[in-house]
Amino acid sequence: MSKFFPRIIFFALTFLPGVLQAQEDPIPSDSIGFYDFLKSQKEVPGLSYRFLFSETGITPSQLSDSLFSLSKIDSGYVSVFFSDFSWIDDLKRPIMADSLAYTIQLAIYSQPTSVNSAHQYLSDLIGKGDYLVKDDEEMQVEDFVALAAKTPYLPLQEYKLKFLSDYRLLAVTLIIIFFFLASSIMIVSMLVMKVTKIKREALQKEYDGIIIEPLTALLFGKELKEITEMDANEIHSFFPENLLSKELFQLVLIDRIIGLNKKMKGEFKEKLKALYKRLDLNKVSIKSLHHRKWDRVTMGLVQINEMDLVEALPEVKKFTNASNFHIRSRALSTILNLSENVDLRSLRDQAFPLSLWQQMNYLRIIRFVGLQKDLKLGILFESTNQSIRVFGIKLVRILGRVDMIETLAGFADVVSDEEKLEILDTYAALGAHMETRFINVCLKSSNLNLSMAAAKAAAVVGDVESEDILLELVETETDHRRKMEYLKSLYKLNAEKFELITLNNTSSDLMEIRNHILDPMLHHV
Amino acid sequence: MYSFLFFMLMEIFGLMFLILSFSVIVIYLIMMVLSALEMRDFLRKNRFADYGDIITSPITPGVSILAPAYNEGQNIVQNAQSLLSLHYGKFEVILINDGSKDDTLEKLIQSFELEKTSYAYYPEIETKAVRGIYRSRNMSYRRLTVIDKENGGKADALNTGINIAGLEILACIDVDCILSSDSISRMVRPFMEETNKKVIAVGGVVGIANNCDVKDGTVTTYRIPETMLGKFQVIEYFRAFLMGRMAWSRVNGLMLISGAFGFFRKDLVRAVGGYFPKTVGEDMELVVRMRRYMDEQKIPHKVAFVPDPLCWTEVPEDEKVLSRQRNRWMRGTIETLQLHQALRLNPKYGVVGMISYPFWSIFEKSAPIIEAAGIIYTVILLAIGDFSAVYFFALLVMMFLLSLLVSSFSVLYEQIAFNRYKDKKDLRKLIWMIITEPFVIHPKVVYWGILGHIDFIKGKGGWGSMIRTGFKKAEDKKNLTEQPTS
Repeated sequence: MSKFFPRIIFFALTFLPGVLQAQEDPIPSDSIGFYDFLKSQKEVPGLSYRFLFSETGITPSQLSDSLFSLSKIDSGYVSVFFSDFSWIDDLKRPIMADSLAYTIQLAIYSQPTSVNSAHQYLSDLIGKGDYLVKDDEEMQVEDFVALAAKTPYLPLQEYKLKFLSDYRLLAVTLIIIFFFLASSIMIVSMLVMKVTKIKREALQKEYDGIIIEPLTALLFGKELKEITEMDANEIHSFFPENLLSKELFQLVLIDRIIGLNKKMKGEFKEKLKALYKRLDLNKVSIKSLHHRKWDRVTMGLVQINEMDLVEALPEVKKFTNASNFHIRSRALSTILNLSENVDLRSLRDQAFPLSLWQQMNYLRIIRFVGLQKDLKLGILFESTNQSIRVFGIKLVRILGRVDMIETLAGFADVVSDEEKLEILDTYAALGAHMETRFINVCLKSSNLNLSMAAAKAAAVVGDVESEDILLELVETETDHRRKMEYLKSLYKLNAEKFELITLNNTSSDLMEIRNHILDPMLHHV
Repeated sequence: MYSFLFFMLMEIFGLMFLILSFSVIVIYLIMMVLSALEMRDFLRKNRFADYGDIITSPITPGVSILAPAYNEGQNIVQNAQSLLSLHYGKFEVILINDGSKDDTLEKLIQSFELEKTSYAYYPEIETKAVRGIYRSRNMSYRRLTVIDKENGGKADALNTGINIAGLEILACIDVDCILSSDSISRMVRPFMEETNKKVIAVGGVVGIANNCDVKDGTVTTYRIPETMLGKFQVIEYFRAFLMGRMAWSRVNGLMLISGAFGFFRKDLVRAVGGYFPKTVGEDMELVVRMRRYMDEQKIPHKVAFVPDPLCWTEVPEDEKVLSRQRNRWMRGTIETLQLHQALRLNPKYGVVGMISYPFWSIFEKSAPIIEAAGIIYTVILLAIGDFSAVYFFALLVMMFLLSLLVSSFSVLYEQIAFNRYKDKKDLRKLIWMIITEPFVIHPKVVYWGILGHIDFIKGKGGWGSMIRTGFKKAEDKKNLTEQPTS
């Protein structure tokens, strides 16, 4: 199949010009047409003609006519050869006036020949390009019409070839067409977008103006119970049915209610939530979860979260592992916020790495709900996703969950270095003095980042063994940055040992580091 | 024989210019579409961004702001105060006095009650000698550190700051830039949103502050500069930031972050050896080297871009100063591309190697040369009588229309996304500038670009042979030792 089209193109290119050539043969095949053609050409190289007369009827005066210069042959008389075919009619006129019998004989290079042979000769000349057919400039308009009727229709034959042969003209034309097409599409689409945006904004403003009054009346004029028990007719007396069914109106109403919900407290919040449901806006929020645009889905999740639409949780759960970052982040925030017990299982089962942005948002929610509900942080350590486990350790540290230190210690030795780094930070932050063994093991680690983190932890919760390891590290370490970190930790852990090692050492860099550490101006860096 | 060769060459050049014209149109149209898509997505994402937590959350990364200063005595105190008043939780401000000959250091010492510390400075990245590191006893200025060092240029000053920076993210800025109070929060967000791909750097938009009103470190009223060069740069900055960089960001092909306002991951900057002080295009060179390093280590990564208006600077409105700036930019581009030739059409380096690098080589580095060659070609055609007015004017009009289209779209983006220039008069001025720019300013920019090429060939700036050889690996910069300037 792949070779089919190239072959078609090849054959078309090879044979089509031949076909076109055959179609446009300019020499008429009949003898009358042929003579007419010769007349129109006036002269053809090598081709000439003469007149043949029978003996009878020739007068002496005709014999002496210098125009024909007749000479005697066996069958009668013959004129000289003429090369200008346009003279034929003029030459024939006196002969016909004298009613003489005559025939015209064609000749190629003065050798008498038949009409067919002359036709062939002329065709060959044209075919080889040795003779260019002359256009009949004097042709009348009527003749053009007559000729056109005879000529097969060949659209833009001449111009097509000319156009294609000039590649630069073709390329510039194509570029210009492409440019105008592309830019027109872009300009039109931008203008359409702008106009749509302006119209939408104007409508939003109009709807917003319509909404404020009934919303205020409902919030301040009705009790929570009254709002909950309102029937459809009553609702439509506040918000006309024709408007309430419009998508944009619903969105403006949702925005307005959510905006108020964020600002208000106590019973007003409850009233807004009840009104949200009475107006069936909860259905709009849940419906938007199935929208094809990711931002509409995310907006739906935000609305569900803000308006505590617990009934939507099963739907929301489906999005916790969505490929879109914003959708899965909002879905998980909603689950954490609305689930009866803080549901960390959805967080545990996250397939995607957790970003710091997500961690920041989840931390805020977990901190808030953790005050009211029981937080089972241990679930997070069951995750197969390392970033979730790391976040779990961070939560232990930030939430000050000293009770979880034992859990951390249970797996601290077997986890990855990234997790060990977090565990060390957590031990330091929570003052886990019972975990010095782990800290000392990490101090000796070949992973320099881990060793540095362990040194920082040892500064807070280290023991005598930590001091010895730090002393050893200071003596062997060649990198200044690390040496300074080890010395800082030693100083915090045991200032006497720090003094001893720095004062008894003649190394200038050690003295510089000592001065740096002891400089109070640098304590808050 | 020679005549045949000459005409063949003319034909080849003609064809080459046609292909280039077509490529320019296609590429700019694609860039317009990509930037529009990126802008749309950015605005959508912004609807869900809550920056309230960033300032207080213990999860957010710390930011070390590095601001080199050279002879900035007149405004250094206000600039430092402005930086210290930014809204962010974990940040430090490191001002590097790069051997100023004026009273920059004295003013800082006096205003911020600074004292010389016993800081043990061991440079991980080699720099010029540090004369002293200053801090204040006043706790209000606890975030401020001032380094006094010998003059070594902007890149060297930044490297000194990198050596002592203590937080995870480096914000490298020009000290005279005006930063919006929430600029750090917004620039840190892409780092915080990182999941599968490591975000190695984030670039921001640099706005033009000439003729604008500034209050409390933020631009309050926007106005178009009065001079033609100022107006031209407004359009140019729109094109560069709102169109070019947004489009490159869409395909993860950004190779340049403005030196006046760029955020980088510190550990990575240190891993590649910091800025390369021997190039005038140190900002671009660092980004390319970081990307190259990540590709060589086979670590998925991206360079992000934030189109929010967060940083403003005064641009040169004097022709001499502007010409020097453009000359320097051109040399910086050439040097960076030379240093990282290994990237050229190398699939190992992904979009940067296969698309960004060739684009920069043809449409940024070689553009002035190509344009000059086009003029010479036209003159030759006129001389030999083969000049076709139809082709010439068709191409000229088409290129002019393309320029109008690209510039108009970048202004339109700004109007849709941020709408900062609210005065109708300003918009009219911008439109007039868009129409006249190709004839009035563009030829000058081409000329300055050619001068940049000439200066590069002459070896201005030193280390010419090294730059021509290029880095074999991204980490090669760390192994460099000082060479005599040629």
